[in-house]
Amino acid sequence: MLQLEKILFIAVLALYFAAMILYFIYIASKKETVAKIAIVLQIAGLALHTVAIVCRGIGAGRLPLTNQYEFATAFAWGLCLVSMIFLLRFRFPVLGAFSAPIVFLIIGYAALQNKQVNELMPALQSNWLGFHVSTAIIAYGSFGVAFVLSILFLLRDRAQEGSFWDRHVPDKEKLDLISYRSVTLGLLFLTFCIITGAIWAERAWGSYWSWDQKEVWSLVTWLVYAAYLHLRIRRGWRGKAAAIFAVIGFACVIFTYIGVNTFLPSVHSYR
Amino acid sequence: MLKKIWKFLSSMTFAIILLALLCAACAGASFLPQGETFEWYAAAYSETAAAWIIALQLNDAFHSWWFIAIAAFLCANLLLCNVLRLKGLVQRTKSAADPARAIRLEPDAAAAGIAQPRSVFRRLGMPNPSEHTVEDRTVLLSGKNRVGLWGAWVCHVGILLLILGFGLGQFTKAEYFVYGVPGQTKPIDETGLMLTIDDFRIGLREDDTVEQYTAEIRVQNAATGEEQRAAISVNHPGRLFGMSFYQNATGWAARISVEKDGVPLQSEVVCAGEVLPIADQPALVIYFSAFYPDYVYVPGEGPRTASGLLNHPAYLYAVYYNGELIGMNVLEADETIRIDGYTVQFSDPQSYTLLQIKRDSFTWLALIGGLVTLIGLLLAFYVLPQTVWAVLEEDGTWTVSGVSAKRRTMLREELQRAADEAKAGQ
Repeated sequence: MLQLEKILFIAVLALYFAAMILYFIYIASKKETVAKIAIVLQIAGLALHTVAIVCRGIGAGRLPLTNQYEFATAFAWGLCLVSMIFLLRFRFPVLGAFSAPIVFLIIGYAALQNKQVNELMPALQSNWLGFHVSTAIIAYGSFGVAFVLSILFLLRDRAQEGSFWDRHVPDKEKLDLISYRSVTLGLLFLTFCIITGAIWAERAWGSYWSWDQKEVWSLVTWLVYAAYLHLRIRRGWRGKAAAIFAVIGFACVIFTYIGVNTFLPSVHSYR
Repeated sequence: MLKKIWKFLSSMTFAIILLALLCAACAGASFLPQGETFEWYAAAYSETAAAWIIALQLNDAFHSWWFIAIAAFLCANLLLCNVLRLKGLVQRTKSAADPARAIRLEPDAAAAGIAQPRSVFRRLGMPNPSEHTVEDRTVLLSGKNRVGLWGAWVCHVGILLLILGFGLGQFTKAEYFVYGVPGQTKPIDETGLMLTIDDFRIGLREDDTVEQYTAEIRVQNAATGEEQRAAISVNHPGRLFGMSFYQNATGWAARISVEKDGVPLQSEVVCAGEVLPIADQPALVIYFSAFYPDYVYVPGEGPRTASGLLNHPAYLYAVYYNGELIGMNVLEADETIRIDGYTVQFSDPQSYTLLQIKRDSFTWLALIGGLVTLIGLLLAFYVLPQTVWAVLEEDGTWTVSGVSAKRRTMLREELQRAADEAKAGQ
C-alpha cells in the first residue's frame, strides 16, 4: 500500500504540475479548451490524491495526518478540493490558474519532507486527531481560496474594460462575496479546529490552552479574520481593502503552518 | 463626556482596536522567549533591553497586566455591545412575526403584479404564510431562520464565557507534580491526599519506540480513608477526588545502597536529579546526576547512551560534603564508591513516572463558551433570516416584498425568480 502511495504521489505531482502549466497556457492563449483540459487534469489529480491519502492511511494503519509530510499533502488536497468546489460552483477557470500554483507549491513542500511512516507517539494516539487536523485542513483550504480570490480581485481591479480579466473573471462584487464566504467557512472550521485541539490538549498535556506557539498563531489567525469580518461591517471595508486583509490573513495561516514549525519552538512540531 | 466614553467602549471601532492590539501582543510575544530571567535577556540582547523587558512584563506577556487589561476591555466591549443590541434584536425578531411591523419595513426586494402570491412563498421555501388584516388590507406573512439574526450576539456570549472560564480557571486552578516508582506513596502537597504508585509500565513496540506509558495509581484521603483508583496513560487522564491525574513524563531511578564499615546503613530508591544525604552523616550527600541505560563514552563529548535499552547501565554521580563538590564520576554496574568508611553502590535501575495533578473548576465553562461561539458562528454565517410578506393591492394583484439581514442580493435574485415563475404559471 505504501509503495502504491509513493507511485500515486508522483502521479499526483505530475498531474498538478501539468494542470498548472495548462492554466498558464490558458491565460496566455485565452483558449477555453485548454482551461477545460486543465480542470480535467486537476480533478484527476485530486481523485488520485484522495486514493493516495487513503492508501497511506491503510498502509500506516492510522489516519495519515501526523507529521509534516502527511499534513502538507493533506493541506494541498484540502486547498485543491475547496478551490475545485468554488471553481465549478461559480464557473470560472481563472480561479484554477491561481490556486493550482499554490497547491503545487504545497505538495512540492510535502515532497521535500521525510515520507517515512512512523508509529504514533503516545500523545498522538487520540480520536481527536482526526477531528482536529481535518478541520484545520478545511479551514486552511478555505483561507487559501479566499487568498486566491483576493489576488484575483486586485488584478480585476486594475483590469481594463474588455480585457481578458474583465471577460473571464467574475465582477468585483461577486469576487468579494465569494471571498467573504470562503473566509466565513474558514473561520468556522478554524474555530472548530481550535476547540477540538483544546479538548485534546486537556487530555494529552493536562492543559487545554498553554500559550504554545502554534496555539498563539492560530489565535492570531482567528483574530485577523475576526477583525476582517468586523471591518467589513463597521467601516464598509469591502472590495480592495478586504482583499488586502484576506491576503494578510493567509500570510498568518502560512506562518502558523510552516513558520511556527520552522522558526519557533512548539510542542506541535511533529516531523 | 461619560456618554462619549460609554459609546466608545461599546463601539465596533474599539473592538477592532482591541483585536489589533491582541494580535500584535500575541505575535510579538511569540518571537520573544518567554519566562526567562533578567540575566538571560541581558546576555541575549542588552542590559537596557532586559530592563525594559522585565519592567513591561514582556517576559511573561500572556499573564502581564497589560495583556489582562486588553482582555478585560474586550470583555467589557463585548458585554456592552450585546446589552445595547439586545433591544433592537428582540424588536427585529418580533417585527418579523408581526404583520403590522413587517409591512412598514424598508424591503430589500419586491415584486408587483402577482396573482398567486402563495406560489411565490412556496418557491421561496415558505409554504404556509399566515393571513392577516392590517389597516383593512389583506397581508400574507412568513418568515424563516429568524434565529440567524442572533448569530453575532450568541458568538459574543460564547467568547465572553470562554474568556471568563479561562480567566477564572487561571486564578483558581491548583497544579501539583508527584513522581516516584512503583510501591512508593507520596503526599500531594497540602491537599490531604496520598498518592500510591502501584505500577508503572512503558509499553515498547518491536522497533523499541514507545507505544504507551501507563501508571496504576491509588489516591487516599488521609482524613477519611476514602480511596479511589485509576489506570492513567497519555491521552487517558484519571479523574479522582475532583482532580485530573495525567501521565506527564518519565525518567530513571535507581536504588542507592550505603554500607558503613561493611554493615548496611541505608538503601533507598532515588530518581535521577535527586540527592541522598548519608543517614548518619547528613553533611555528606550523594547526588544522582544522570543515568545512561546503554552507556558509551564518546571522546570529546563525554558520557552518552546508545539506546534506551538497559544494555549497559551506568550512573553519573557527584559527592558533596558541606555543599562542596568532592568528587564526580560515572559508575558502572557492580562498581562502588568508597568515601572514608562508606561504600556506596547504585543498582536496580527502573523507570519512574512523573504525574501531573490538576484541579481547574472552570474548564467546563470555557468548553461551553467555545461551543456557544461555534453555534454563534454557524447562526451568523449559515442561517439566513428572511421575512417575506405580500399585500393585496386595490387592483386585485399582490405585491410580494421581503427583507434579509444577510445576503440581500440573494433574496433579490430568489424573489425575482420566484415571481417570474409564478407569473409564468398563472
